[in-house]
Amino acid sequence: MLRNSFTKWLWDYRRSMITWVLSVAGVGAMYAAFWPTMDNPAMRELLENYPDELLEALNYTDIASPAGYLNATVYGLVVGLLTVVYSVSAGARSIAGDEEAGTLDLVLAHPLSRVKLGLQRFAAFLVSAAAISIVLLVFLLLLSGPARLEGISMSSYLAQHLHLFLFAALFGAVGFGVGAATGRRGLAIGVGAGFAVFGFAANGILSQIDGLEWVEGFSPFNWLNGGSPLQNGIQTGDVLVMAGLTVVLVSLGLWAFSRRDIAV
Amino acid sequence: MTEIAIRTEGLVKDYGRTRGLDGLDLEVHTGEVYGLLGPNGAGKTTTIRLILDLIRPTAGSLKVLGLDPRSDGLGLRNRVGYLAGDFLVDSRQTPRELLTYLANLRGGAGMGRVDELAERLELDLTRRIKGLSRGNRQKVGVIQAFMHDPELLILDEPTSGLDPFLQHEFSTMVRQAVAEGRTVFMSSHVMSEVQRSADRVGIVRAGRLVTVEDVDDLRQRARRRIEIVFDNPVPAGEFQVIPGVSELSIDGTLLRCRLDGRADHLIKAAARHGVAMISAEEPDLEELFFDYYDRAEDDADAPQ
Repeated sequence: MLRNSFTKWLWDYRRSMITWVLSVAGVGAMYAAFWPTMDNPAMRELLENYPDELLEALNYTDIASPAGYLNATVYGLVVGLLTVVYSVSAGARSIAGDEEAGTLDLVLAHPLSRVKLGLQRFAAFLVSAAAISIVLLVFLLLLSGPARLEGISMSSYLAQHLHLFLFAALFGAVGFGVGAATGRRGLAIGVGAGFAVFGFAANGILSQIDGLEWVEGFSPFNWLNGGSPLQNGIQTGDVLVMAGLTVVLVSLGLWAFSRRDIAV
Repeated sequence: MTEIAIRTEGLVKDYGRTRGLDGLDLEVHTGEVYGLLGPNGAGKTTTIRLILDLIRPTAGSLKVLGLDPRSDGLGLRNRVGYLAGDFLVDSRQTPRELLTYLANLRGGAGMGRVDELAERLELDLTRRIKGLSRGNRQKVGVIQAFMHDPELLILDEPTSGLDPFLQHEFSTMVRQAVAEGRTVFMSSHVMSEVQRSADRVGIVRAGRLVTVEDVDDLRQRARRRIEIVFDNPVPAGEFQVIPGVSELSIDGTLLRCRLDGRADHLIKAAARHGVAMISAEEPDLEELFFDYYDRAEDDADAPQ
């Protein structure tokens, strides 16, 4: 595990990564397990009495099917938000966190380019992002019988979890890119959090304002499951936007990182 | 012709509005121990971080082992060992884990010497760094800097935090490295740290090199405290006129004074009387450092 900066980073953060993967997937699975309690006439009646705008804001518009329920509560809410928290902070610590701790100097005093170090650490983060997606998928498949999550095909699950992985990668790239470019972990987390708040608001609330419907298209939460990959399969546009932005943010971050001074 | 390990010409480094280096001209010869001496904030760490390409110069040129740290950074850092004064690492790992990783960054170079060096410095490689004392942490730093036998050792205030045993061991390692033809570039803000190992000392102040001195020359020229016990009381007048003698006091048969430079005149004057005992204190180069420092201060304060 000490062969290179990729495996070293995985090894150093193994506890944090495992804890986060199990937490995110576990909380997601727990919410999914509540589906049978939602799936009854009384609950449906209750929800019908809610104002449409509120349901829209909560993404509860199609809560009558397992896929709709998972979209609204699991992907669109708890898993989405927890993934943002993990990804932004894990991205930010890759360079900026290490730099602020004063521990980046030693590694960079070795024959290792900054770009290579950054890429290896981001790749290590991507492993943890993929693990969140995969472990949650496994949990949901195990629950599909007991929690009556019927009517969702394996390919739909895979599509949604590809979206989830890229969603995590994107927020990781925000934290990583801003952190690598500036060396400031707090700023990187702030920008990531701001982007998430904007995205969350744009997806459910701002888009309800007349004339602002278009902002939904700029929300990462919309790219995550606005097109409901769980029902409609991979949404090519959303996938490309998330992957493309990830590449751009990581590249810009590394470009700036390799040109700037390392802070003392 | 002497080979040059580090050469800077007019090296300038600005941090926003403050100037870290203000036209530093430095020449470190291959195979010597060069001590860069100056107060905190004089530009020592800035110089070292420029050599390692952690920061980039604002102006001027810098060549290390004939290479440009900016464009040949990888090739250069392959041949360099670096030790920071406060050696900071993720403390959840053991020294062995860290040293294995760092060796692997050099293609495994130095891994073979880890155990030997750990034994020599009496460091337990299996305890988490978190649980190590400051001195023991610094040992980890010493090992990673020396283990791959680099051509150039860059040591930033290396012995701060080391106990006397370790300081001594460290000086031995530095001398061994030089005996093998390696170059050592160390910074410090205390002369005593530098004079123990360095061949030459460069004194920096406010980002400029004030002077470069040979440590042996310095030692010869330095003021020493001399005590001479005579068989019989001696007249003061005879000794007051001797060149280099100051702060003379004579108390019966005991003469105390400070001597600047050569001892010849004083010895010859003393030899006219019966000398029971003579003692000369090892010169305190720190005082010289302050002399230079004050002079530089005066120059800087002088109206243009």
